[in-house]
Amino acid sequence: MLTCKELVAHSSDYLDGQMTLRQRLAVRAHLAMCGNCRRFIRQMKLTQAVIRQMPEDELPELDALAERLAQARRHND
Amino acid sequence: MSDTDLLDRLLAGEQKAYRELVARYQGAMRAVAYAIVGSRNADEVVQDAWLAVVRSLSGFQGRSSLKTWLLTITANTAKTRLKHNRREVLLDDLAAPHGTVGEERFSDDGHWLLAPHAWHQDSPEALLTEDELRECLEHTLASLSELQASVLVLRERQGLELEAICNLLDISLSNARVLLHRARLKVFATLEHFEETGQC
Repeated sequence: MLTCKELVAHSSDYLDGQMTLRQRLAVRAHLAMCGNCRRFIRQMKLTQAVIRQMPEDELPELDALAERLAQARRHND
Repeated sequence: MSDTDLLDRLLAGEQKAYRELVARYQGAMRAVAYAIVGSRNADEVVQDAWLAVVRSLSGFQGRSSLKTWLLTITANTAKTRLKHNRREVLLDDLAAPHGTVGEERFSDDGHWLLAPHAWHQDSPEALLTEDELRECLEHTLASLSELQASVLVLRERQGLELEAICNLLDISLSNARVLLHRARLKVFATLEHFEETGQC
């Protein structure tokens, strides 16, 4: 039987689909019985979503770079 | 706009198409460069990679996606620069501002001693409305090693598969898994800390 500590240690593998079917079933069986770990996994998914949606740094010289590359391209031919 | 449409306009040297290309992919390219050569040389590598992209654009065959092709060029540009002093893959874990979900959270038999609390917000949008939390998260991301931060960004923000990340960065799958997991737990710890205390 998987412990909570082991579940946490393998949580990223679970979230990334890096588990065998057997390991996956063991995680599911644990989650069915353990509210704390269900909450942990839910919050890990939320953590992933937060990272995904954090605003990216603006690119200050976007236009200048685009102009340089377009010019380089035209001179390339 | 699809890769093919964009490509036609790029080949024609249309400036707006380059703007779109840079806006879409520079973040991922920077993460790849950052992981391989570190923060000091990352920007220069990205600039060199863009010039290499422009030079070889006519040769792009569409066998991979445009994104994969751009990231491969970036990784190669970075590795060329690094040829003579290849860095070790550092799995050493730097301390993060709010720690991680560590051993001390569990009893000897592996049960939670200090289980996660419910968070006040349950959507990323709601969490990210707090300016202070956003800054706090930036601070945590900045505390990660260059390689760890890049693996996290490439996986979560850029949506790359783990195998693709390993190929680009020349690291093993098990190393990538360790780096990613530790990075996530540190961000988790920051969110948890903020949700509990209301401050960074």
